[in-house]
Amino acid sequence: MTAIAPPVATAQPARARPDRRRAGWARRAPLLPALVFTIIITQLPFLLTLWYSLESWSLVRPGSQHFVGLANYIDVFRDSEFWTTALNTVVMTVGTVLIAMVIGVGLALLLDRKFLGRGIVRTLLITPFLVMPVAAALVWKTVMLDATFGIVNFLLRPFGIGHFDWLSKFPLGSVMIDLIWQWTPFMMLLVLAGLQSQPKDILEAASTDGARPLAIFRELTLPHLRRYIELGVVLGAIYIVNEFDAIYMMTQGGPGISSANLPFHIYQRVFLGFQVGQAAAMGVVVVIMTIIIATFALRLIFKTFSGTEQAA
Amino acid sequence: MMASADITTAEPGIPTAAPAPVVARKKRGNHTIVGIVAWIAGIVFFFPVLWMVLTSFKTEAQAYTNTPHIVFSPTLSQYRTVFSSGIWPYLANSAFATLVSTILVLLLATPCAFALSLRPVRKTQDVLFFFISTKMLPIVAAIIPIYIAARNLHMLDNIFTLVILYTAMNLPIAVWMMRSFFLEVPGELLEAAEMDGAPLRKTVIEVILPVVAPGLAATALICCIFAWNEFFFAVTLTATQAATVPVFLVGFISSEGLYFAQLAAAATVATLPVILAGWIAQRQLVRGLSFGAIK
Amino acid sequence: MSEVTYDSATCIYPGADRPAVDRLELAVNDGEFVVMVGPSGCGKTTALRMLAGLEEIDGGAIRIDGKDMTGVPSRDRDIAMVFQNYALYPSKTVAENMGFALKMQGVAKDERARRVREAAKLLELEPLLDRKPRNLSGGQRQRVAMGRAIVREPKVFCMDEPLSNLDAQLRVQTRTQIAELQRRLEVTTVYVTHDQVEAMTMGDRVAVMRAGQLQQFAAPTELYDRPVNVFVASFIGSPAMNRFEATADRDGIRVGSILLRPSDAQLAAAQGHSKLVAGIRPEHLSIGDGPMTVKVALVEDLGSDSYVYGSLADDAESNVIVRAGRQHPRPGEVVKVAVDSAQLHLFDAATGLRIGD
Repeated sequence: MTAIAPPVATAQPARARPDRRRAGWARRAPLLPALVFTIIITQLPFLLTLWYSLESWSLVRPGSQHFVGLANYIDVFRDSEFWTTALNTVVMTVGTVLIAMVIGVGLALLLDRKFLGRGIVRTLLITPFLVMPVAAALVWKTVMLDATFGIVNFLLRPFGIGHFDWLSKFPLGSVMIDLIWQWTPFMMLLVLAGLQSQPKDILEAASTDGARPLAIFRELTLPHLRRYIELGVVLGAIYIVNEFDAIYMMTQGGPGISSANLPFHIYQRVFLGFQVGQAAAMGVVVVIMTIIIATFALRLIFKTFSGTEQAA
Repeated sequence: MMASADITTAEPGIPTAAPAPVVARKKRGNHTIVGIVAWIAGIVFFFPVLWMVLTSFKTEAQAYTNTPHIVFSPTLSQYRTVFSSGIWPYLANSAFATLVSTILVLLLATPCAFALSLRPVRKTQDVLFFFISTKMLPIVAAIIPIYIAARNLHMLDNIFTLVILYTAMNLPIAVWMMRSFFLEVPGELLEAAEMDGAPLRKTVIEVILPVVAPGLAATALICCIFAWNEFFFAVTLTATQAATVPVFLVGFISSEGLYFAQLAAAATVATLPVILAGWIAQRQLVRGLSFGAIK
Repeated sequence: MSEVTYDSATCIYPGADRPAVDRLELAVNDGEFVVMVGPSGCGKTTALRMLAGLEEIDGGAIRIDGKDMTGVPSRDRDIAMVFQNYALYPSKTVAENMGFALKMQGVAKDERARRVREAAKLLELEPLLDRKPRNLSGGQRQRVAMGRAIVREPKVFCMDEPLSNLDAQLRVQTRTQIAELQRRLEVTTVYVTHDQVEAMTMGDRVAVMRAGQLQQFAAPTELYDRPVNVFVASFIGSPAMNRFEATADRDGIRVGSILLRPSDAQLAAAQGHSKLVAGIRPEHLSIGDGPMTVKVALVEDLGSDSYVYGSLADDAESNVIVRAGRQHPRPGEVVKVAVDSAQLHLFDAATGLRIGD
């Protein structure tokens, strides 16, 4: 019956879509409460901290605040304690993240295979992450690492190390042991998610192509895991740079400030020394440090993981 | 009793073989080794928790000793001490701050995540970016103004201060997590509801919420974990009225000295709720930790 | 009366360089089963979704019973849609799924239950009414999706490739069931598929689309016997129609060294076109004495017939498919092929349009 030849191409203006703009505000409304709340509670304090860092102010002497410009920052950079704690922060962060990631990858590889009781082992392995940080620190400080009565020393007795005062001799190290214990499950879970998201048929294809397990791991698995490892490292770094609870509970930063990181040091300045200005300046420095790391994190999360597709 | 294989030849000259016996393949051996190593790792990692719980059932003499006792007759005396040393108000404060802040978080985050996923706004990426960035900035840098503001508003040592701060703390994670759950709702489902004549409100209640309900629960659980464990705000902004369990733990040491068994009991009481919650929400932990990036 | 009219309907996605649906003109009669078919990206699904209200109408209009649907939301159009992936509500039982639209309309519970039961009986879903979708097989879910649409007693059914997720055998079975159901219910239906066999067997009329533009809208036999251009000719019919480069002169149509004699009217119409495409379906060629010489490359023996694939002896690049019976030549052989010139289709090589009747 009807046969239609393709129409000649002539430009025809498309009708504008009017409803979109009106609906815009209706769409934005559900956002606003959460957004406004967050802006007020989180942004204002930072702006104020920035302001405080430009003033000299001791909480002990009310009304003593006065503008000093960048003097606080100069004091901070001249302060050897600042550099020591900054160094501690870096050592603690890098050390914890690296070791936790290495162990985490190993554990994830184990958990990726089927074996009897895998679910139980997984539950056991994630438990350290769930323990309240101050409780974990408490346990490590007393029951585990105590010089005389800790179980670690007991277990090391056959190796000749009987009575070792971990917290005095290795304060930073002891804190790191606690942190590594707590954060390895986090790394493991991320890497495990990465392993489980790898399509099995690709591995089977490689195996049929004659690749040995080690080669498959190196050529296929590791590149696939890269973005998960990166995410773990960056997120872990952000959290651990700001670690506070463990230090407070285990060593109070001591002996001296040998196990204090920047956040703890700032805390001491504010609540024990009541020096707001300098503490604020140090706080700003920590913020800048974190922003640098966070930029990497954000780029990672958005670039590789932007889950914007809707499932069919 | 094994049936004997019947060997018949279909045609002369074409033999058919009996089925080969089943041989245990090498693969199974590998998995046993993996299993053993994994179990060892699991026990090693779990050991401190296990030791903490065991110690909490010992007498001080059994706990505070050179040679640890593995076999002992358990006692509840440490727990009795802990509970009679005034832990109840702290538990109540923790529970209150955790529950109320989590409810607030869900009320704020769910519509927000909905707007950022199913009805995308032009600035969606910017808003998401903003939320994450708030989580990444160190709270130690914000504590000074917060402390001063709380002091000036007479909100120090007030449980609602913690409620507000915990809500702000968990909001980004909740928004990201809920968004990832909303994104899993199939687009066709929403279209079907629209064709079936459902207005937006009904679509949300009857179609979307049932599908994301498990996600809501998981998000709530993750928020509870973080709120319960939180220490920094609690220790800097509370004193006696509003102090939470983490603060109690710290106080417990200084007042009681180093009594291992008691400490272990206190630590167990403090951590048990979250450990249980975490065991239940295991699968969702990854999603929460990675801001919903990883399922 | 539920007539559906696409009146120069256009849909452009923002940022695209050509419209997804370009000035579509289509008139569907009341109670008719119309199939929209074409390759991926041809715009058939978009056109369907425009009717359902799930895509914007950027130009022209779509009318149901004469009323312009531009700006009218889906729920007010009285259209029921069957989705490709069924889109069943996972938290609701089969009965609740089927009754959902009625519930939204405010229909009373008893009336709802009655109508659901009726539809369930039609589709043999009665034993499944209390199950949830996750406990159903693919075929069962498909029936529930249909049931959901039927219960509404709408003006129009829209179906978006409802059979594509079923396995081959189930597909054939369900195809006939859908066609029967539609005939019984007499509801105007617009059905989208990429499978031309479905199109040919189910539709009263079929609309072939390509790159957003309608190629031909006619009954299946019309499409098969008188395709309006080369695209329709090669899309409809399996295996596809043979197409050869050809020229016309006073004596006939020349394909390489072969001379074919179509009807006088056709030959007359072909004069004046410098280059042609000559088309002939495999069943109109036969192994035997004739003008064509074909070198056989491979043979598909389907049991009832066979199809011989090869190339013209003097053009190794060409493709020829000949339908044969149980007896067929073997690969490598060179055979003569007879041509039923009365069944020749001629198209202008430049425009692709049909020449002659």
